[in-house]
Amino acid sequence: MSTDVVGRPLSRVEARLKVTGGAEYTSDIQLPRLAHAFMAMSTVSRGRITRIDTQAAEAVRGVVAVYTHETMPRLKQPTYRPFFKPYIPIQSPDVHHAGQPIAFVVAQTLEQAQRAAELIEVDYEETGEPQGELDMGEAFLPPDGPDGPNTYKRGDVAAGMAQADVRIKAEYTIPMHHHNPIEPHATTAVWEGSKVTVYETTQGLGNTQHVVSEALQVPLGDVRVVCRHLGGGFGSKGPVWPHTVLTCAAARALGRPVKLVLSRAHMYTSSGHRAQTHQTIELGAHRDGRITALDHVITQQITRDDVVLFNSSEPIRMLYDIPNLSNEQRAVRLDLPTQSFMRSPEACTSHAQEAALDELAHALAMDPVELRKRNWSSRNMDNGQEWGSNHLRECYDRAASMFGWSRRDPRPGSMRDGDELVGWGMATSAHTAGGRPGSGARITIGTDGKVLVQVGTQDIGTGTYTIMTQIAGEVLGMPLSAITFDLGDSAFPQSYTSGASTTAPGVGSAVKRVCTAARRAVIDLAVAQPGSPLRGVPADRVDTADGHLYDTANRRSRVSYRSVVGHGGKPLDFTVEPTPTPLGYSVGAVFVEVRVDPLLGRVRVTRVVGCYDPGTVLNRKTARSQVLGGVIWGIGFTLFEHTLVDPATARIVNPNLSGYLMPVNADVPDIQVQFIDRPDPASDALGARGFGETPMTGVTAAIANAVFHATGKRVRDLPITQDKLL
Amino acid sequence: MAQHRRRDVLKSGGVAAAAVMVPFAGTEQAAAAPDAPQAAQPRAVADLTLSVNGTRHRLPGVEARVTLLDALREQAGLTGTKKGCDRGECGACTVLVDGRRVKSCLTLAVMQEGRSITTIEGLARNEELHPVQEAFVRRDALQCGICTPGQIMSAVACIEEGHTGSEDEIREWMSGNLCRCSCYPNIVDAVADAAKVMRR
Repeated sequence: MSTDVVGRPLSRVEARLKVTGGAEYTSDIQLPRLAHAFMAMSTVSRGRITRIDTQAAEAVRGVVAVYTHETMPRLKQPTYRPFFKPYIPIQSPDVHHAGQPIAFVVAQTLEQAQRAAELIEVDYEETGEPQGELDMGEAFLPPDGPDGPNTYKRGDVAAGMAQADVRIKAEYTIPMHHHNPIEPHATTAVWEGSKVTVYETTQGLGNTQHVVSEALQVPLGDVRVVCRHLGGGFGSKGPVWPHTVLTCAAARALGRPVKLVLSRAHMYTSSGHRAQTHQTIELGAHRDGRITALDHVITQQITRDDVVLFNSSEPIRMLYDIPNLSNEQRAVRLDLPTQSFMRSPEACTSHAQEAALDELAHALAMDPVELRKRNWSSRNMDNGQEWGSNHLRECYDRAASMFGWSRRDPRPGSMRDGDELVGWGMATSAHTAGGRPGSGARITIGTDGKVLVQVGTQDIGTGTYTIMTQIAGEVLGMPLSAITFDLGDSAFPQSYTSGASTTAPGVGSAVKRVCTAARRAVIDLAVAQPGSPLRGVPADRVDTADGHLYDTANRRSRVSYRSVVGHGGKPLDFTVEPTPTPLGYSVGAVFVEVRVDPLLGRVRVTRVVGCYDPGTVLNRKTARSQVLGGVIWGIGFTLFEHTLVDPATARIVNPNLSGYLMPVNADVPDIQVQFIDRPDPASDALGARGFGETPMTGVTAAIANAVFHATGKRVRDLPITQDKLL
Repeated sequence: MAQHRRRDVLKSGGVAAAAVMVPFAGTEQAAAAPDAPQAAQPRAVADLTLSVNGTRHRLPGVEARVTLLDALREQAGLTGTKKGCDRGECGACTVLVDGRRVKSCLTLAVMQEGRSITTIEGLARNEELHPVQEAFVRRDALQCGICTPGQIMSAVACIEEGHTGSEDEIREWMSGNLCRCSCYPNIVDAVADAAKVMRR
């Protein structure tokens, strides 16, 4: 086994395709007779269609079909999760939210389809007053869902609070957010007889395959889903949304390929969002900083028709050594589209907890780093089990030292630079990783010594193509130039959704297992092959490196993979089945400097330093990029991002990229990143844990805490906009 | 806008002469419902020749309402240029027109005849990447890659414009291109690297 492939800051293996325009994304696929689709959306939030007139739309030149709830082929409601909506639109006159598809237009060109969709006339009967605002008086405790219990208790919170010398209580609110991948959702469906190929923007090929099979009543094996490159998803492309099955149905009915690309505005009501949340948190602690009790309630929006609610309270339940704890997840029904998971779902509860810890540290007059260290746990506090490894305390020390934290004057408003107020804040980064079904894998070693590894997974920009190539090279002892890692086709061995930070540990384990089996088989072949220089050498004395097998007792005795498999005369093939990925916890410490203009209330993040423990770092370049992305998402979450809903109509009023503010290059400060880079013994992927979602957590509270340090103001309602500091 | 006839709009853009406008011979006008809003109906198509990456692309029957972006992607088959928002907000569709960076979703194809258009497919010389492309690979200035063609075209222009004097200047002049994966610091590094190479 080679020892220097994994970890290397290798450039992405698919980068050349991406910088030349050669990477083919879903909406790039060109097919003969391809028709273009566009959807018309509802303009009311709660009602029923009483009349829908498609005459003008049908008269537009080039229009092939206009489907409404009266004419759309009937589809079966999927039960497979993650199909979250409890209905498929354009199957009945019911309208559940504004921006719900009500007609599906197919035309020769995109322009014709768009124009025709505009000409559809609709009358609605409104069936109630739309509710678009989180009314806490309507909060209820929903029944436990597939994601676990909504209530959690340990110890005795009342007794713990009674023991406390210091108590703080605070409310935090975070608005609705949208994923906004730059690539819109797209589906192209191509039928050949009773079989369908779906080119789909998806983070989970298997999800699309199952839902299409179920909704269109086609055997699973007759549905092939392809996604070689994904232009960002951030969770929005993990579930399957109705437009996918509608496109498949239209293509089947018309007998020609149909392509649908959502508009940017459509994406605000068609592919989930981060639910608006309200949190109350109460903390009690001894003078020495040991937390005696934590009481936390999170309330989030759901729709009137479903209870799609995820457990995102892991940081509360798992992270700190708190003996007495209560956590409850409540919901309020609104007339808005179905929520879903969005990058780092635990960021919301992490934000409240890490901001509250800063309030507690202030109340105790204790350094916030010290407070966190005193409550550190090596165990998963949810179930009491030890983590494979957890180097969080070292992360605090290294990041604090890099940042220069010891020079901080803890008094709010004490640090100035000219006219600007300077604030320093910190927080813990922590996100669960894995704990999901795993992945299968297939390897073929050709008689030419070339290796092909295939997994039905996705590369959502995190570097899957690259790190899996590295794992294969490391395990086989093979130069990377001889290895092709292929993904993005449901015909390959099945894998789990690219989400929940599960790809590195899950697919990584599968690639490691299949390469280990193949390597062993080649060694067995080599020691038995007549004429082989390794003939008769005990197999466990043979190692591999640089595409060769060699005798560790006599390094000059060596033979290439190519020679062994070539002499065997036929390619070697191995497949491994999925095994579940263990639950990991990737942690870190993040320190932030902000500068606040006291006259304008404008906050700029000017410096970020983070140190992280993701287990083994598989590729320092792509892992660092994950941190940059997470940190910048944290900046957007805390200072800019906000989906605005008109409370009277429950319509989203900024469904675009100019009204929904996301960070741009000019918003981004200097970001310094360090890794502990020590293998987690509990990982089956060369010591790597999942990591992608960790770096966004912590940054949000660190910014808010730094704003308090700069100004003395606690802004508990995100985003921290200028008006809130004046 | 709806009050203008499209022909007038095109003339005011100064390029109508370059395109051969013909009324639809097809069925739309005959078949359109009498109460359909006539002013908003497209009235013309043009046989266009666009010069893209040094090659002349003949595009027959392009409707006047077709954006440069959709003409490149759907008719010229050049899908390297990406659509992220279709309203000039994200920059994924950035191309060069006569050397200037332009958001191709905000201009009509019929307005571009006679101009020299460069897309992401036109930067590399055979196997050799353009210095900006090379720097994006080396600096990991991309993740999912969907904004990358626009970022690179914008970076080429940014360097040509001389807006790479400092990291802050690069940040400012590259802020018209959104990257949701948020590779921004790496993009700044890549642009700075490429600027040095291109000035040699």
